[in-house]
Amino acid sequence: MSTPLLEVADLKKYYTDDIGLVDRVLGTETTDVRAVDGVSFSVQRGETLGLVGESGCGKSTTGETLLALEEATDGDVRFDGASVFEMADDARTEFRQRAQVVFQDPFSSLDPRMTAGEAIAEPLVVHDIGDSETRRAEAKELLERVGLAADQVDRYPHEFSGGQRQRIGIARALALDPEFLVLDEPVSALDVSVQAQILNLLEDLQSEFGLTYLFIAHDLSVIRHICDRVAVMYLGEIVERGPVDAIFESPQHPYTEKLLESVPRADTSERGRRVDALEGDVPSPRDPPAGCRFHTRCPYAREACRADPPDDYDAETTGQQVACFRALDDHPYWESEPIERAAASDGERRRTDD
Amino acid sequence: MIRRLLDAVTGRLSPRTVQNLRSEFDTSPLTKVGVGILVVVLVTAVFAPLLAPWNPEAQNLDRSQQPPLGFTRAENQTTQETVDGEVQLIQETVQVNATVAHPLGTDGLGRDMLSRVVYGARTSLVVGVLGTLLAMLVGVPVGLVAGYYKGRVDDALMRVADVSLAFPSLVLAIALVGLFGQAAVEVPDPLVTTGLAAAIRGVTSLPGGLAYPTGMPATFTLPGTVILVVGIVNWVWFARVARGEALGVRDEEYVKAARSLGGPDRFIIRRHVFPNSITPVLVLATIQIAAIVLLESALSFLGFSGTTLSWGFDIAQGRQYQTTSWWIAAMPGLAIVLTVIGINLVGDWLRDALDPGIEGEGGGV
Repeated sequence: MSTPLLEVADLKKYYTDDIGLVDRVLGTETTDVRAVDGVSFSVQRGETLGLVGESGCGKSTTGETLLALEEATDGDVRFDGASVFEMADDARTEFRQRAQVVFQDPFSSLDPRMTAGEAIAEPLVVHDIGDSETRRAEAKELLERVGLAADQVDRYPHEFSGGQRQRIGIARALALDPEFLVLDEPVSALDVSVQAQILNLLEDLQSEFGLTYLFIAHDLSVIRHICDRVAVMYLGEIVERGPVDAIFESPQHPYTEKLLESVPRADTSERGRRVDALEGDVPSPRDPPAGCRFHTRCPYAREACRADPPDDYDAETTGQQVACFRALDDHPYWESEPIERAAASDGERRRTDD
Repeated sequence: MIRRLLDAVTGRLSPRTVQNLRSEFDTSPLTKVGVGILVVVLVTAVFAPLLAPWNPEAQNLDRSQQPPLGFTRAENQTTQETVDGEVQLIQETVQVNATVAHPLGTDGLGRDMLSRVVYGARTSLVVGVLGTLLAMLVGVPVGLVAGYYKGRVDDALMRVADVSLAFPSLVLAIALVGLFGQAAVEVPDPLVTTGLAAAIRGVTSLPGGLAYPTGMPATFTLPGTVILVVGIVNWVWFARVARGEALGVRDEEYVKAARSLGGPDRFIIRRHVFPNSITPVLVLATIQIAAIVLLESALSFLGFSGTTLSWGFDIAQGRQYQTTSWWIAAMPGLAIVLTVIGINLVGDWLRDALDPGIEGEGGGV
């Protein structure tokens, strides 16, 4: 295997409370919110890696941090061999051209006071490419490439539908001819039929321009449709990763299992199926549980899960990596006692800080 | 006429904004009143040398304290008369009647109140508009920078703003006038110096057949210190509003997108944060113009403005005559009230029409 285009190593992003001067003087203690807590993965050239998880699990923060839009607390991101966080200005400028992002909310991702053409041409303005005429021509070309009409170049965002806006967002991301796109839930705000169109467009563009995608989503069916490999995130950590088919056919981590089970399926035999949903809420990332972070909600949790956090273990046959003791045959887990949990443990549920 | 003026002003705005402004203007009668008042005040201020019946500075002691039309003033007169070689003092009450030549009456020195009110509009509007512009020029960049960078930059800038806020604005204004002195600038009045005013006035005549006086003041006193002072006193409001907006806009995804493109902060602030923060600032500006008109009047009233031709100054003058000639203070007071109401109504219109909640939403999904 060649060197990956993007390598994320033990990336951490903690948010510190913005405390006032008085508190700072008095030395008031704050606990950090550990949005991303030691995430590692790599993305090969030309592939699509899916990053999936519940809202608040840190997947969007991961995307923004690895693009250096947020300052990382710790860890390293290497893009084409060079560390993103330690780049000099020239290299950073080049990185900004080669890596782009498409955002979730098509209503917030376009400046309401800029026409579609201005928005798409903005990357060219920032990097001082061409003059206003060539930029306009480029914007028209890109509009057509993403399935809009060139004469819509002077329209304002409010004149477009959500799907059309998302196409404009994609056109803007393509303007600099990048290699790598972070797609931050690009379809989750759209109608299902429009979702399919956008996903097809993304696939076409990938094969046409040889793009590499990091696809962030919470919708598993979307992930299955577009991704080559998947990483499942829970509470700031990756709990399982592997090829998309393996993950969907034989999930190894209990969280992945539950996540897949919670997806409604369009099948008559499914009618009346009791969805065995996950119990409780996601614990607060301000104070994550000790040991395995999932043990508060895991149906298989035993005392051993409270004691130590699991490492990433290779699953035997399917090529996945799983952060769960159950992947090991000879682990003290199998000897320890199951965790007693009250039937309705509402009192223990902690609210998430989303 | 008003509609065409609006079209010219709104040409640079986004089509949606223009549409909102239009529909709000068409449906709200109060807006029409406000715009009407403001247009009248503006026209009055600009064409004061043509509209004022008299030179506002010309004194005529024979005609002092004439009442406005529809009123009379009773004056006790004591006259000496020699009756059979003896000097007698005769007390009598004389009714002073209003004259058409001075429809709003005259002040204690016989100056025409209408002319003074007309010219006072200039001072008020010039100070109001220039003072607001100055306050915006200082406050908006400070606020945008504070809101965009957050953190320590924000802390530092906003503490400075808080300190300025801690001073009562009038006290601060008086202190600053004391510091800078009264720098009043004499600006030549183009309508008068070109002879245009005299020419136009020469061919018309006052009601009652009187000749239209042609000698109008050749210069207009620009109260420079007052403009500076109201700018310094009021920048804080613009800084705070701009900061609040910038705080919201900085987290919008289009700002993130611009950052992911590698756009420098200055570029992002100018291109994205500023245009998307400016609407509430414009609304605030209208309210601030009204507040500054009042502040200017207060400063003039206290004698700090350096001009002797302003509504506030006339109110101060009228105070001495309050018991006998109420109109000397009341006429400029009325002008202030009307102008402030007009500006505020226009501000309400802008606020309703440019509400950021409407902007950017909808648009047919």
